[in-house]
Amino acid sequence: MRFQSQKVAYWFFATCMLLLSLQIVYGFIMGFARIGLDGLHDYIPFNTARATHTNLLVVWLLTGFMGAAYYIIPEESDRELYSVKLAYIQLISWVVVGVIAIIGFHFNWWEGRKFLEIPRPLDYLVVVNVLTFLFNIAMTIWEAKKRSTTQLVLFFGLLCAALLYLPGMIYFDNQTIDSYFRWWVVHLWVEGVWELIMGGILSFLLIKLTGVDREVIEKWLYVVVGLTFLSGILGTGHHYYWIGTPKYWLMVGGIFSALEPLAFLGMAIWALNMYRKKGKNHPNKIALYWTLGSAMMSFIGAGFLGFAHTWPAVNQWTHGTLITAMHGHLAFWGAYAMLVLAVISYAMPNLTGRKLFTGMSGYLAFWASNIGMLGMTGALAVAGITQVYLERKLGMDFLVVQKEIIFHFIGMLLAATLFTVGITYFIVDFIRHGLPSNEALGKNVGDLD
Amino acid sequence: MLSKSQARAFFLGGTFLFSAVFVFLTVDTLRQTDSRTNAQNITEDVLKGKEIWEKNNCMGCHTLLGEGAYYAPDLTKVVERRGATWIDVFLDDPQAMFPGERKMVKYNFTKEEKGQVIAFLDWVGKIDANGWPPKPNIPIDSIATSPAPQVKTNAVAVSQPEKFSQLCVACHTVGGKGGNVGPALDHVGSKFDSDYLNRWLSDPQAIKPGTNMPKLPLTDPERKDIVTYLSALK
Repeated sequence: MRFQSQKVAYWFFATCMLLLSLQIVYGFIMGFARIGLDGLHDYIPFNTARATHTNLLVVWLLTGFMGAAYYIIPEESDRELYSVKLAYIQLISWVVVGVIAIIGFHFNWWEGRKFLEIPRPLDYLVVVNVLTFLFNIAMTIWEAKKRSTTQLVLFFGLLCAALLYLPGMIYFDNQTIDSYFRWWVVHLWVEGVWELIMGGILSFLLIKLTGVDREVIEKWLYVVVGLTFLSGILGTGHHYYWIGTPKYWLMVGGIFSALEPLAFLGMAIWALNMYRKKGKNHPNKIALYWTLGSAMMSFIGAGFLGFAHTWPAVNQWTHGTLITAMHGHLAFWGAYAMLVLAVISYAMPNLTGRKLFTGMSGYLAFWASNIGMLGMTGALAVAGITQVYLERKLGMDFLVVQKEIIFHFIGMLLAATLFTVGITYFIVDFIRHGLPSNEALGKNVGDLD
Repeated sequence: MLSKSQARAFFLGGTFLFSAVFVFLTVDTLRQTDSRTNAQNITEDVLKGKEIWEKNNCMGCHTLLGEGAYYAPDLTKVVERRGATWIDVFLDDPQAMFPGERKMVKYNFTKEEKGQVIAFLDWVGKIDANGWPPKPNIPIDSIATSPAPQVKTNAVAVSQPEKFSQLCVACHTVGGKGGNVGPALDHVGSKFDSDYLNRWLSDPQAIKPGTNMPKLPLTDPERKDIVTYLSALK
């Protein structure tokens, strides 16, 4: 690490690891419930496990983005963070809000809107918290001598993510309008501004890991995020087909969703090309694996699998089935989870001065978790297609169909176990790195810039 | 080749243009929503029902308009499919209605709250959702299977009581129509006499402890009608 204040990122990353572990636990609870082993029903019914599982995902990814920003912004700005103290206060309050929310879910305290289950009073705390975070980042950039595109795209992404949280906090009497604006948060986050954050982080990692000229990388960053907004904003329409909005959304959503894979394809081609152009080899191969892996998996999961069921004529059958869960798993994993793990893999040796990337465990973590996630996605895909045909096309009863697909959930649980092995390796490596050390100050391990 | 400033212009221009179109379409959508969703029918009960729906995170298992989780059935057309009476009985003890199946939390709603939930679901079911959910479009008889067993239903002189079609068919079939949780009732009248059927319906547990059959809230005349009907199924 170059700056003392980057150390704060470590604590964000550590929080990520904890929340990710918990997310996996809740995933297993749901997986077992699906095959009929729902012994926890009285204490953790499915809707509690579900809300906890998805909210933990959102929270750990946001925690990861914050950690990434605290790590990247000082380096891009060539100065210390505006306030380290504020960053710690922000982290602690963030965790407190998260813990209260998760405990609340177990006592039927929530706002039952998928992905936005956090109760209203806590929403306000989240807003204050995120504003604090943005203030800290903004002041760091403001007082910096250096302005970089990477820095600005990342900041713009984080700012928009915060602003777009607000439409989700307005209460509407009408279910259709309620749903309409819920997607402003959920869709415009994951298929809009989060991709900006992703682009910013990817750009930083590519600059560091490939040593290709910053100007070249940042030019393509603009193109990629340009494609994202070009397709993603009106692509929101694929959530508006069947909820009571006008028919033209079928056309608007259909066309622009069909373009959405372009942004992810652009991301993948960009990352691979920069890698091909590299002058020297960066020793931290594992960080490179996660970086390129994220660019490619996001294309498969978010781009291709999204494309596979957003066309209206297909979506009318797949809407609200396990097909959505299938796409969701690989999309979030490829685009955002892998990216956060890439930042962590890159930053840990720099923060602690320990070069654990030379061992086998990093590769094991990468391959086991990726193969595991592909297996889970495959199992959900088969279950989803079966469900679509039996329940939707043939008209069989919901519960009868669910019994027919139990087998695929056993497959999913097995793949999830492999995934968990991978993540365990990752976390063990994380712990073995130890705490950030002052001895690592001033130098980065093997950077090519 | 594209320069960096051109790339920036592409990003900023595209973002601005498509955001503007999106805002315009949003305004138009909001303008049309009232008529598409029959907003005039959003009564006090519907709103209360929506509150209950959200307060208990029903979307954490069910979907509504296809949105939510995929652990329990979509409820968009549930009032049309099951009818208010059935939902009302079901909510009292969901597990009794689907014994040994996927579990639903027992919420202990009051009579009034159940009515509000049903009012909300009824309103949702009438939203113009561009024809969603679609009707099944692969006819069963187009699939090569062994011919369906011909169910012999005798001409029943007694017509099916309303309560029977609201509640019993969720689990039992008559003439091949109905649920498959409980046994088919096509010939139940030749197996049991009306006295037994009456006692069975009054309290299934008393006759066969541990049975999956729930005790249904039937008034005396309703039970009598059903017993008469069942006795005629021979």
